[in-house]
Amino acid sequence: MGMLTFDAIVVGAGPAGVAAALTMARGGLKVIIIERGRFAGAKNLFGGVFYTHALADVLPDYWERKPPFERPVTEQGYWMLSPDSVIRVMHKSERYRKEPADAYTVLRARFDPWFAEQAVEAGALLITRTTVTRLLKDERGRVIGVDTDRPEGSVYAPVVIIAEGVNNLLTRQAGLIASDLPPTHVALAVKEYVNLPAKELQARFGLSGPREGVAIDVFGDVTLGLPGTGFIYTNQSGISIGVGMLLSEFITHRLRPYEVLERFKNHPVVRPYLEGGEVREYGAHLIPETGYDRMPKLAGDGVMVAGDAAGMVDALHREGTNLAITAGKAAGETALAAHQQGDFSAAFLSRYRRTLEDSFVLKDMKQYRRMTDFLESSPHFMGTYVNLLNEAALRYFTAHGIPKREMEHDIIKMVRERRSFTGVAWDMLKLMRAMRG
Amino acid sequence: MHAVVAIKQVPDTSNVRIDPETGTLIREGVPAIVNPYDLHAVEAAVQLKERVGGGQVTVITMGPPKAAEALIECIEQGADRAILISDRKFGGADTLATSYVLARAIETINAELPVDIILFGKQAIDGDTAQVGPGVATRLNIPLITYAIAIEEFDLEARTAIVHRRVEQGIEVLQTSLPVLLTVEKEIAPVRHAPLPRLIAAARYQPEVWSATAPVVFDPQQIGLKGSPTVVGKAFTPEQRSGGEVISVADLGLNAVVARALAVIEQAHVRNLQPETGVVS
Ligand SMILES: Cc1cc2nc3c(=O)[nH]c(=O)nc-3n(C[C@H](O)[C@H](O)[C@H](O)COP(=O)(O)OP(=O)(O)OC[C@H]3O[C@@H](n4cnc5c(N)ncnc54)[C@H](O)[C@@H]3O)c2cc1C
Ligand SMILES: Cc1cc2nc3c(=O)[nH]c(=O)nc-3n(C[C@H](O)[C@H](O)[C@H](O)COP(=O)(O)OP(=O)(O)OC[C@H]3O[C@@H](n4cnc5c(N)ncnc54)[C@H](O)[C@@H]3O)c2cc1C
Repeated sequence: MGMLTFDAIVVGAGPAGVAAALTMARGGLKVIIIERGRFAGAKNLFGGVFYTHALADVLPDYWERKPPFERPVTEQGYWMLSPDSVIRVMHKSERYRKEPADAYTVLRARFDPWFAEQAVEAGALLITRTTVTRLLKDERGRVIGVDTDRPEGSVYAPVVIIAEGVNNLLTRQAGLIASDLPPTHVALAVKEYVNLPAKELQARFGLSGPREGVAIDVFGDVTLGLPGTGFIYTNQSGISIGVGMLLSEFITHRLRPYEVLERFKNHPVVRPYLEGGEVREYGAHLIPETGYDRMPKLAGDGVMVAGDAAGMVDALHREGTNLAITAGKAAGETALAAHQQGDFSAAFLSRYRRTLEDSFVLKDMKQYRRMTDFLESSPHFMGTYVNLLNEAALRYFTAHGIPKREMEHDIIKMVRERRSFTGVAWDMLKLMRAMRG
Repeated sequence: MHAVVAIKQVPDTSNVRIDPETGTLIREGVPAIVNPYDLHAVEAAVQLKERVGGGQVTVITMGPPKAAEALIECIEQGADRAILISDRKFGGADTLATSYVLARAIETINAELPVDIILFGKQAIDGDTAQVGPGVATRLNIPLITYAIAIEEFDLEARTAIVHRRVEQGIEVLQTSLPVLLTVEKEIAPVRHAPLPRLIAAARYQPEVWSATAPVVFDPQQIGLKGSPTVVGKAFTPEQRSGGEVISVADLGLNAVVARALAVIEQAHVRNLQPETGVVS
């Protein structure tokens, strides 16, 4: 057998890899996507809200291709849980109802195979059940292909796009990032899919039919007050429920992820929603909390990196798939241009980063660059304030025969007892800085 | 050498919810896989081909269009030709109808290129009857060796083979004439990791599709629901039995043990006569 040679190799058939492959295949390149799972999506898990804008950019006619969306998100917001109470801030609008909608709940086991199929239809070759074990480099250190765990498993191409997700082994081997993510810069999330008949689900969440859905992010007691979030999303006939925290928090507080989720599921406010539902699957996955300042270099000689592998996640808005798709597309376009110029040097490929600097991907990453540090330095933030708000609400909404003026004083006193005024002011200042970038 | 391997696509019912390797989800909408024993059958056929210095391995399956994936996996493993027997009319087949279709298909394949050996899995992990292989051998009127674990000798000139089969008491070594039909255990051949170039070739391979009427005209009375007299009353997982009581002669003496044993049997007997009382645990 001769050498296996392609115009481009993509490692990983997640959103980033598929978007890159699709873009390059449509541009006429001979592309191979190598995925270690049994099928695209077999090993992937996310919370569940998929934003369509990025998809529309790579696949303008995606709606006609019947993507396997679960429910449009027509209501979304936050639950702030204290141990026995909740404050809900939910937003529902008629404007969420137009389809294709901005956001849908999605199950990756269904979505990823569909998305990969679009790349295959465009001419890309998808090889599954095959793990890329290392990058192949020439004597000058330029990437010229990959090696896999298969016999006769080397494949060559002038450009390799690494879209390997959060376990960034190849990104490290490419020399684009110095070390593995420390536990303070990676979150661990656990999730369950709880089956519920569509009718029952709709009744519980106040949905009028299959074309409505809810996305709830949960703070406070869900993570025992530690930095992190929980989520509850509605699928066609089931609930995605999960919780995520920095890996370092699990370690420091000796918490077991599944126990934290179990606790969340048994919270008096949450339990009724799940009653009688059957857990169909569960799993765990990491989320990079790399932050703008610690992102890897995005290109080297003959290589680019996109998606979670490059830390492209906006944790605050639980966005990741859209950043991955936009980055994959930009990397694919850069590879097309490189083929046109016959130049695969790091210098030429660096235009990939410039494209992303001009897009929401790196603009948002830059704006929230201090977010991880903020949470790390103010671990009490979530717990204290969420509990406080719930206490305040309780006093506000109950009639004790106390004059309202006194009640207001009570509330203020309570806040002061838990956190000094300067403490509050300092927290707010830090939070504002983290939000503004 | 021409080997035909019958394979079935089955749901991955290994029933593990967490991937032991990655800790991630095992999917809802359970993925379909090649029946594990059948992959070993394919491997055995490919190894036999290598051993005798060439030939052809043909894989066949009766199933829905999606079963083409399973055939492609067999091409990756080294099979040369794949045939998907697929038609709505085959739907609802029991082991009788399945055996009929596969036997007729193998006859047709044999007419094109004589078949020396036919391999089946020992059983399908979903249906679990282990009837289809024997059913096909009977229809083709050729020797059948079930639970095969090794092909010691395979002589195309003398047209004989020596095959080891697993039985409860040990291993039987049998000599057979060719063609022969084997249903195989996993030991028959370890499944190798297919080379990348084969995966790439297989990704572009399109299995032949046979319908109920072309190229073979199957008897409409013998296929699908019509050809399936089996009635499944109820499907259930038998209750797990507990370990049972150990009565030791050394501890109690022979007489006491016999008495105790008789009492247990009597109790069990009473329960059988009056199941609704359900007092015996
Ligand atoms: C619990 C959780 C909730 C989330 N919620 C949301 C949300 O609501 N909305 C949102 O937009 N984002 C969300 N995200 C983030 C989002 O899932 C990721 O940002 C996104 O999946 C990144 O896409 P990717 O293509 O970069 O990586 P992945 O989707 O991780 O894909 C990487 C692929 O590469 C394969 N691979 C890895 N290494 C190799 C190798 N060596 N050889 C071959 N194949 C390999 C993997 O099997 C995988 O298929 C969430 C993440 C988690 C964990
Ligand atoms: C719960 C349950 C309910 C069922 N209900 C009905 C019913 O209502 N009506 C009915 O008619 N039947 C029913 N069946 C039978 C079902 O159709 C059988 O699964 C099928 O006929 C094959 O038998 P098997 O799976 O037991 O295969 P086995 O005999 O265990 O398979 C042995 C080997 O035969 C080969 N093989 C088996 N099937 C195929 C195939 N399709 N193509 C190629 N090779 C094959 C493979 O090599 C396999 O390893 C039911 C089965 C189950 C488990």
